[in-house]
Amino acid sequence: MVEALVIRGLGKRFGGLRAVQDLNFSVDERETVALIGPNGAGKTTSFHLITGHLRPDAGSVTAFGRELVGLRPHDICAHGLARTFQVARPFGKMTVLANVMTGAFLRDRRIEAARDKAHAVIDFVGLGAKAQTPARDLTTIDQRRLELARALATEPRLLLLDEVMAGLNPAEIDQAVALVGKLSERGLTIVIVEHVMRAIMAVARHIVVLDHGQKIAEGSPPEVTANPEVVRAYLGTGYAPAVRGAPC
Amino acid sequence: MTRTLLGRSGPWLAALAAAALALPFVSSPFAIDIFIRILLFAFVGVAWNLMGGYAKQLSLGHAAYFGLGAYTSTILMIDYDVSPWIGMLAGGGVAMLASLPIGALCFRLRGPYFAIATIATAQVLMLLFLKFRDFAWGAEGTTIPNLGSAPLMMQFEGKAPYYYIALALLALGLVITHRIERSWVGYYLVAVGEDEDAAEAIGVDALKIKRNIYMLSAFLTALAGTFYVQYIYFIDPNTAFSFNVSVEAALVSIVGGIGTLWGPVVGTILLEASSALLQSWLGGGHGGVQLTVYSLILIAVILYRPTGLIGLFADAYARIVRTGPGAAKEVPLDG
Repeated sequence: MVEALVIRGLGKRFGGLRAVQDLNFSVDERETVALIGPNGAGKTTSFHLITGHLRPDAGSVTAFGRELVGLRPHDICAHGLARTFQVARPFGKMTVLANVMTGAFLRDRRIEAARDKAHAVIDFVGLGAKAQTPARDLTTIDQRRLELARALATEPRLLLLDEVMAGLNPAEIDQAVALVGKLSERGLTIVIVEHVMRAIMAVARHIVVLDHGQKIAEGSPPEVTANPEVVRAYLGTGYAPAVRGAPC
Repeated sequence: MTRTLLGRSGPWLAALAAAALALPFVSSPFAIDIFIRILLFAFVGVAWNLMGGYAKQLSLGHAAYFGLGAYTSTILMIDYDVSPWIGMLAGGGVAMLASLPIGALCFRLRGPYFAIATIATAQVLMLLFLKFRDFAWGAEGTTIPNLGSAPLMMQFEGKAPYYYIALALLALGLVITHRIERSWVGYYLVAVGEDEDAAEAIGVDALKIKRNIYMLSAFLTALAGTFYVQYIYFIDPNTAFSFNVSVEAALVSIVGGIGTLWGPVVGTILLEASSALLQSWLGGGHGGVQLTVYSLILIAVILYRPTGLIGLFADAYARIVRTGPGAAKEVPLDG
């Protein structure tokens, strides 16, 4: 297996706060890995460090054999890493179509080609009916869909999803899980930050657990949920029996 | 909306162009002077709008490039006998070069801090030209030698030729804006203006595109500077680097419709026309009255139509032709 993403000794401080320290993990190509942990554990900071929105104090990030530390976000995107933001950040005054076309221009500067590709991606995420809606008029959930579409339009090999399912109802979570599954089948490597355990269990084969900026556990979903350290720090004692009862 | 307007308005555009071309034949010299000012400041507004409107980098220092364009061509003409036509392009080149370090400094700042930093750059340039007398006549400035009718030196007998030059400049600015709006560059500019981090995340090199659009904007603004001093036959630092130029460039776009093709044109027509009319009605005897009324118009526009007056026209047009939801198709900048 080729390693899509290798993180070695990654560290970031904000003043006295160690947001991420000595983080190590790797993601195989075509694998889906979940990053979980309580609020403030350093999940989103890790994403920022990987995608170049923050510069790490220590460590290295290698994707598909290339060192990413020191590159700017647009270079990293061009290298095949796309992300969504925890709070969706659509270009509000553009239409859905224009938002996604802006992503598509990375690989093809021609208007017609970008428009065709944008339409295909918009249909894929289920926003087809709203292609001409200004992005600021979308619901929160549709804004997340839009952000996913915009990221996909850049033709990534590795997709980083930051809490795309927060605030969704159970039916919508099922849709989102199916969508992530489809992306994975298409050969995308996915790193997902998520609090919805049901969704994580459904999509991830490997889980990395963070707490206070450090990795406290790593393994398959059953291994992680059985780990007492993880139960204490994140899942809570009430969770373990429920997992045993759930078919996953 | 602008693109739908433009796409369906070939005949309107032709009529507008014909009217613009015919105007000097039916106007008094006084009126032509106002029209020249409108065309020139609409052009400066269009140049400003490329950066300030589409990419939302609110510069209040475009006088820097207006002044550099004016001084470059004037120095070349008086000291080296170079035609202002060539000096105009040289001034554009100087402005482009100057925009690189100025941009490198100012683009570190965002929002109002960026605007303040750009004001400072224009003021610093003005002070330099005020203090260094050997270089360019210092505070007294200089008159530009009148060569009579010398088209090759950008000097003409009547006002009509100046009118057509200003019209050509405006047309150039509009064509460039239109082409940018329809290409990936327009999408990238608006994306950077909306959310720089999100734009970077989908592969937009925000610094590079800001730098490039700033260079283009500076180049065009410098052309206007050369034209202006050739038209008024006089240059001094207070004229060439006037803060009013910076403000007017931003204001006409904001009033007309920021980030739209025709916004700066609509804004300039309104502001210059009302300013000229108010001056002739209220100017004599009531010191400051016309300025007060002018300011009230500005306040009203910004309060009640913050997206600019072009929206009013677009809405009215949409009502008349009753465009369906599909009409917004191909409009990236619909706001």
